[in-house]
Amino acid sequence: MTEPSQEEILELIWTIDEENGEVERNSLIKKIPLPSAEQILNSLIQEDYVIISDSKVALTKKGLANARLVIRRHRLAERLLNDVLDVKEDAMDSSACKFEHILDEEVTTSICTLLGHPVTCPHGKAIPAGECCEKANKEIRPVVMPLSDLKSGDEAKIAYIVTKYHGRLDRLSSMGLLPGVKIHLHQRQPTYVIQMGETQIALDTAIARDIYVRLI
Amino acid sequence: MSKLNSNAYKIALVGNPNVGKSVIFGLLTGKYVTVSNYPGTTVEVTRGVCHGLDGGVEVVDTPGANSLIPLSEDECVARDMLLEENNKHVVQVVDAKNLRRGLLITTQLAEMGLPVVITLNMWDELLDKGMNIDVNVLQEKLNIPVIKTIATHRVGISALFSSIPNAKVPNLHIHYGTLIEEGISKIEKLLQGKTVVYGRALAIMLLSGDNSLEEKLRQELSDHVIDEVQRIRVNIQEHFSSPLSYAINIKRANYVDALIEGVVSTLKKEKETHPALRKIFFYFLVPLASFFMGYKLMALVLYLISSRLAFSSMTMSVIPCIVGCASSLWFSLNFSIKEFKTKSTVTEVLGRITMHPVAAFPLLFIILWIVYKLVGEFGAGTCVDFFEEKIFGRSSMPSGGFDVSIYIPFAQKTYVLTHVNFQGFNYYFGLLAQKVVNKDNIIFELFFNEQSGLVQVGLTYAIAIVFPIVGFFFLAFGIMEDSGYLPRLAVMVDKVFKRIGLNGKAVLPMVLGLGCDTMATLTTRILNTKKERIIATLLLALAVPCSAQLGVISSVLGRVSGIYFAIYVVVICSQLLLVGYLSSKVLPGAPSDFLMEIPPFRMPKLSNIFIKTFYRIHWFLKEAVPLFMLGTLALFVATKAGILSFVERMGAPITQNFLGLPAETTHGFILGFLRRDYGAVSIFKTLEEKGGSGGIDPKQLLVSLVVITLFIPCFANFLVMIKEQGTKNAFLMFAFILPYAVLIGGILRVILHQFS
Repeated sequence: MTEPSQEEILELIWTIDEENGEVERNSLIKKIPLPSAEQILNSLIQEDYVIISDSKVALTKKGLANARLVIRRHRLAERLLNDVLDVKEDAMDSSACKFEHILDEEVTTSICTLLGHPVTCPHGKAIPAGECCEKANKEIRPVVMPLSDLKSGDEAKIAYIVTKYHGRLDRLSSMGLLPGVKIHLHQRQPTYVIQMGETQIALDTAIARDIYVRLI
Repeated sequence: MSKLNSNAYKIALVGNPNVGKSVIFGLLTGKYVTVSNYPGTTVEVTRGVCHGLDGGVEVVDTPGANSLIPLSEDECVARDMLLEENNKHVVQVVDAKNLRRGLLITTQLAEMGLPVVITLNMWDELLDKGMNIDVNVLQEKLNIPVIKTIATHRVGISALFSSIPNAKVPNLHIHYGTLIEEGISKIEKLLQGKTVVYGRALAIMLLSGDNSLEEKLRQELSDHVIDEVQRIRVNIQEHFSSPLSYAINIKRANYVDALIEGVVSTLKKEKETHPALRKIFFYFLVPLASFFMGYKLMALVLYLISSRLAFSSMTMSVIPCIVGCASSLWFSLNFSIKEFKTKSTVTEVLGRITMHPVAAFPLLFIILWIVYKLVGEFGAGTCVDFFEEKIFGRSSMPSGGFDVSIYIPFAQKTYVLTHVNFQGFNYYFGLLAQKVVNKDNIIFELFFNEQSGLVQVGLTYAIAIVFPIVGFFFLAFGIMEDSGYLPRLAVMVDKVFKRIGLNGKAVLPMVLGLGCDTMATLTTRILNTKKERIIATLLLALAVPCSAQLGVISSVLGRVSGIYFAIYVVVICSQLLLVGYLSSKVLPGAPSDFLMEIPPFRMPKLSNIFIKTFYRIHWFLKEAVPLFMLGTLALFVATKAGILSFVERMGAPITQNFLGLPAETTHGFILGFLRRDYGAVSIFKTLEEKGGSGGIDPKQLLVSLVVITLFIPCFANFLVMIKEQGTKNAFLMFAFILPYAVLIGGILRVILHQFS
């Protein structure tokens, strides 16, 4: 296992590499805010995380895998703090730095799933994908989704309707558009047209977003 | 009217939108009400008498409603009718294909304690779909008469007739769960003995939070009772996460789902179009139509730019051909082959094309082209010329008669059969009048003045010019309406209309406005919110030219240059969008949802279209013609009293300096208050005279036509605006439109000046 201080350096190498594409040994050491920078770097070299050639620092395969996970935890934490907890930017940065050392794999996966497998951090940098992201990508679509996410030609059952507008709910339900009803999406453009039994109904995007359906 | 049996019951027609209530009403009473394949056409209660039942029974047609807890004005009208009138038998019209939705209403009727007969209408379409309903089982379950009908073919109507006296309260009892049931019985106790209908129904409506009903009951019940009702509702609502009305609707739907289990069955295969017909449609008609469309579009583009670039006639015909072939090929590859594999019938496919995100636009183009040929060229051109010049003519001059001839299209030969020596009504009337009064007498002038005579201008105008154009437009509109094309057009334009504060539903008044703005303003009632009705009324008055006006303008501008007509269209459309957009931002109120039922694409029934066109023209003659006469009279008085020349002098500086037009055109603008198109003709004539040998200045013509189009279309339209929107709003719109039209004209003049 890597120490937090080692992780900091791995993270730094990753980010410098991301920005400039090249990591100078001396400038790297200057950027490390720890007095024992040289020592930690050496320990990383010994443990085969990092190699130095021509005074350029590069991550080994093992180092790359490790740095990737650190970066992933850091950036996911940023997203969590920013999007869900609404923490201000300064606090977000410092907390994220702590989070990256304490989150274990399972919690990271949960956070990633909760956030819907985000691809970038709040600063716009890429979040390395984890296993859960790839899995989500393969399954393509969640089980229950808004009608607006259906493809034309899909058959689905209405799961539930969530709307802020009382009138909309009444109008939909008096037309018979209620949970459990089978629908067929004819087209998405220029307006959604669905078939329910023998009735064709046109509805606009705002309504389509409020109707949640389960694919069948 | 025959004697009404005062003790007898009334018949109320109730049902979902677009299930054929109006057709059945017509069959029961022999009275015509507009029948249309567009949901929500009936916005008012219509009454008639059904003879043959106990010596005459009153029949009431109601607007379509999906629920008796109203969400729109027309549903409110239907509900009020059911609540208010005593001793009714309800004929519930149900679309047989959509039994489930119909029964949702039946449950509500049962709660109201009303005797009901159900007619399963459009039985033929149910069979076409390969479905069947076990009527006996349904009858047994509901314990009321259930009749199969195909109203448009009069099938089953006599059975319906004889079953009406046997109407019974449907045997439907929904248990809404302990909490809600408790609330219902509490409210029922509060209302006891105070209302006509069964208290349970009222209690359920009140629990659903029916505000309009609460307002109504406030007049009959004390505030204390209403407050108590509200308290009960709030208490129960606390136990539910969703609104109570939703919880109630779900219970109802579940009940109906269980009820129709085993009643509706799917038999066998659906009805299919004959294979040969399908092949002709997919491999011949579709490619042909798409070739034609590509050809016409390209020809139009070439026509528009030909004033700038010189093309040889060779290029003018070859390029459209190439484009036509390309579009035909593209269409066949992308659409025809794919749809051919599906088992859908041709009408279903047509219905789908009309909403297809890509294919619908070319189709719209073809339809517009056909309508233009029919209304613009044949109606506004040929027919108007004939009526105006030959049939009506002038009082001062014989028309010279006309030939009756046969034209053979392919041989391009005309055979003259005979010459009719008819000099025009006005000429003969004029001669007749001169027997009584002198030509210079004011009475003669009142009727036969060349500029403002009641007969020479008012009547001739209404009948010779407007009548053929509007008539042909109504015919075309009727076909679009009954085939089910209009609701599909609503789907197409919804996104654009959202931007201008309306939604797709507004397509009916807007397209109808291209025929007659006055009639269209009346139909704005089908829109859901007050905001939408105001915007639609304003836009109709401002930027939708009616067919009479379009006919005049397209012929005047078309004669000058294609490119100017294109600019005209662009300017008017941009004003429609701009003013719509701004008013949607300025006016308070949220946009309403676009949730609309799309009726099936049907082969329109010609007889219904003709009857409908006839009734619309009848309406037009009855309502609009007297207003034309009134307007002409006002014009005559204004001319004679010198008011006209005074206003002209006042307006002249604006027309001259701001719009850059000759002072004489002011006269045309003043006429434009009475009739926009009439003013347009007058301006055209003035500009022609001013232009002299150099010909008319197209820029001046364009500016003046834009200004006059943006004016309020006619006197009749303004009166209807007052009727629908109130005097204050109508005058506010007037006060906005007038300076705005002039402003846009001024801006256009500057822009045109920059580009020349």
